[in-house]
Amino acid sequence: MVTMEDYTSNYENQWCPGCGNFGILPAMKMAFVAQKLAPHELLLVSGIGQAGKTPHFLECNFIHALHGRALAVASGAKLANHNLNVVVNSGDGDCYGEGGNHFIHAIRRNMDLTLLVHNNQIYGLTKGQASPTTDRNMLTSIQSHGVSNRPFHPLAVALSLGAGFVARGFAGQKEQLAELIQAAMNYKGFSLIDILQPCVTFNHLNTFAWYRERAVDITTLDHDVSDRQSAMQLALEWEERIPTGILYQHEEDDFTALNPWLQQGPMLQREYNANAINDYIAGLYRI
Amino acid sequence: MAVDMTVKIGGEAGQGLQTVGDLLCRVCRQAGYFFLAINDYESRVRGGHNFFQVRISDSPILAPAQEVDVLVDLDGVTYTQHASELKKDAIVLCRPDQDPTQHRTLHIDFTALAKEAGNKAAQNTVAAAACLALLGAGEELCQKVVQELFGTEEEKIGAINQKALKAGFNSVAQSDLKGWDLTWEEQQTTGALLDGASTLALGAVAAGCRVGAFYPMSPATGIMTQLVQLAEHFPLVVEQAEDEIAAINMVTGANFAGCRALTATSGGGFSLMVEGIGLAATTETPLVLINAQRPGPATGLPTRTGQGDLLFTLHAAQDEFPRFVLAPATVADCFYTMQRAFHLADTYQVPVMVLVDQYLVNTSMLVMEKLEISPDAAPIPMPKPPAKPETYARFAFTENGISPRLFPCQSQALVKATGNEHTPDGHSSENRENRIAMVNKRLAKLPAMKQEQRPPLLHHEQADWLLVSWGSSYGMVYEAVEKLRAQGLDVGLAHLVDIWPLPQEPLLSLLCGRKWLLVEQNATGQLGWMLRAELGVEPEDSIFQYDGRPLEVTRIVDETVAKIGG
Repeated sequence: MVTMEDYTSNYENQWCPGCGNFGILPAMKMAFVAQKLAPHELLLVSGIGQAGKTPHFLECNFIHALHGRALAVASGAKLANHNLNVVVNSGDGDCYGEGGNHFIHAIRRNMDLTLLVHNNQIYGLTKGQASPTTDRNMLTSIQSHGVSNRPFHPLAVALSLGAGFVARGFAGQKEQLAELIQAAMNYKGFSLIDILQPCVTFNHLNTFAWYRERAVDITTLDHDVSDRQSAMQLALEWEERIPTGILYQHEEDDFTALNPWLQQGPMLQREYNANAINDYIAGLYRI
Repeated sequence: MAVDMTVKIGGEAGQGLQTVGDLLCRVCRQAGYFFLAINDYESRVRGGHNFFQVRISDSPILAPAQEVDVLVDLDGVTYTQHASELKKDAIVLCRPDQDPTQHRTLHIDFTALAKEAGNKAAQNTVAAAACLALLGAGEELCQKVVQELFGTEEEKIGAINQKALKAGFNSVAQSDLKGWDLTWEEQQTTGALLDGASTLALGAVAAGCRVGAFYPMSPATGIMTQLVQLAEHFPLVVEQAEDEIAAINMVTGANFAGCRALTATSGGGFSLMVEGIGLAATTETPLVLINAQRPGPATGLPTRTGQGDLLFTLHAAQDEFPRFVLAPATVADCFYTMQRAFHLADTYQVPVMVLVDQYLVNTSMLVMEKLEISPDAAPIPMPKPPAKPETYARFAFTENGISPRLFPCQSQALVKATGNEHTPDGHSSENRENRIAMVNKRLAKLPAMKQEQRPPLLHHEQADWLLVSWGSSYGMVYEAVEKLRAQGLDVGLAHLVDIWPLPQEPLLSLLCGRKWLLVEQNATGQLGWMLRAELGVEPEDSIFQYDGRPLEVTRIVDETVAKIGG
């Protein structure tokens, strides 16, 4: 029996009291336990930022990698062993800023892994600069006259790239989030959950109350989850209403299914065969 | 009489110089001739001036020659650009519309003959055939090789090329030019036709490499192309990443998950990978990276060669950590170096950088020695997890700095790693004592790593003067030493292949109190900088070539004579 306690880390939690991440952490545990996944059957990969620290606060295998590069490291691990259960924890700066190129191409590559983006619309670890998702006109220590760049719309970008599982969660609704994480992990292919995560220290605009006023469960709306056009419209909604839940789901062959080199099983399990190499070399010397 | 001839074929990109070269090399191979071929090309897909140059000999050769016997001008500018390289009795093959040359010349309408044969593109086969005819090769042997390359006469391309071959032979037969009477007899056994790219890839496969990730960049792309071809025969997956940053982080992810993985890049791509090297280093994840050097900061000379990255490779990534830098000397050595690289990366859990260059990657030659899998080539199996999995610590302190490396999800023991400074169990830590202990743990690997290093390759090392060089220039410096000795100068060679950690003891006993010249393909003497810093030794003088072209034997000979007196 796998329990929530199995995932309890003895490592000191370093997030600010009241941080939105405290909604995401239990939702992850709930999703893992519901799938009966033991900590040793799971690999977490993370980048840099407050989200990047997440694996330390859980008990499981992890590699807490470089800023922006979590998806690349996770993709490499899947190349080596596509049977691994891989969940990536990243943030809006980590994933949509520093790692933007990897975000685009990980979606195109469609490996079977789950990406959780803790999107607090601000740089927390570096103390409050604008992130790619910060709302326009917000004042920060660097954007001292207000943010002028247009915000990045992660779900719309993912949909435009053909992502097969696109969802939005909210740290203030952990039961729904746990279900989303479970559905994402069960999805065969690349799955994205962008998670609304209030930053209580640096983002005084997009607070718990601000998100709560706008978050609306997508299942209460008249939306067909297989309708990409409708999903795109919902993905771009923001000021008045922010739909949460699965916006789009579509089944198709993932990277492993499409890669002829991987059909005989994970690379990690393939035997080293010196005779085959020697035979090949001998062939090079034949007339 | 000893055979030592050089054929040079110049043309535009897209004229199929590679095919001419391949045909010449294969005929040489069948007839038991040694050869060494270089490709000189510009960074463009069509047009420009490029050449393929093959040196043919009846004894082993490891360097291109500077003097040309047969020159083929397919683009109308080859002769003008290379006339000064021609020997007195050289023969020039050129188009009928070209001006008379100062050398024996045969005008051949390559395009018209190729069109007659069925396709304009076969002009390269016409040219190759004419060269082979001038060298006295039998048509039958050439037909066999053409069939091997283009298929039988029943197939369209095969038939066209056989006709083109015949046309080339006829052009020479109908002329009154006297070529050379080399013996061309088909051999029963022969060597392998290999280039640096293919032996690097083959070495990786011999080491059980299972994953490749890369972003295309000259001149490293050929290595990964070769790896992809091997993926048809061996368990291997190769992924083209979105950029070099992704590529290096992918191979680190793959290695972390337990598979040997390879990336190859050059210049700017290597610069992008630098932070990733640090991640592998601090998470003590094995890493094997090939840097195929090309000259210049920024884009530089994308398709040319140099040795300008030695110190950069030695220091790439911030702060301090142990690493290996290996620089294979020859095409065959690439095969062994790659096996060693993987073995050392796994054994010491450190980055291993393999430094090659455009010259070595693109040089094809006949390798006579049988390539053998090294005894320790196979991947090192995962050690047994501890009986109590909860006691496992990925970065446990040990005497030699090496901690047992388990793979994630392969046992009950949890594998935790981070690019932050960390405690033995893999959690981030800013604790002062822990930081010092972790730096010391990683550096504790160095004494054993030093013991792994091969001494320099030596040739007449007791001589009055030593030439000191490294990496791919071995063949050229070796031949220069031979030529200098033939002129009566007592010159020897000490050539480094294991660059870092520096094999200090053998180098000290070789160089202390000796007169030596540094030979490098950069402008500031980077190996010299290292030797001065590490050993306190100083060369009498230096020979540098940094024009982006392969190191020239004649230049080494001439400059050595000038510097040490003849």
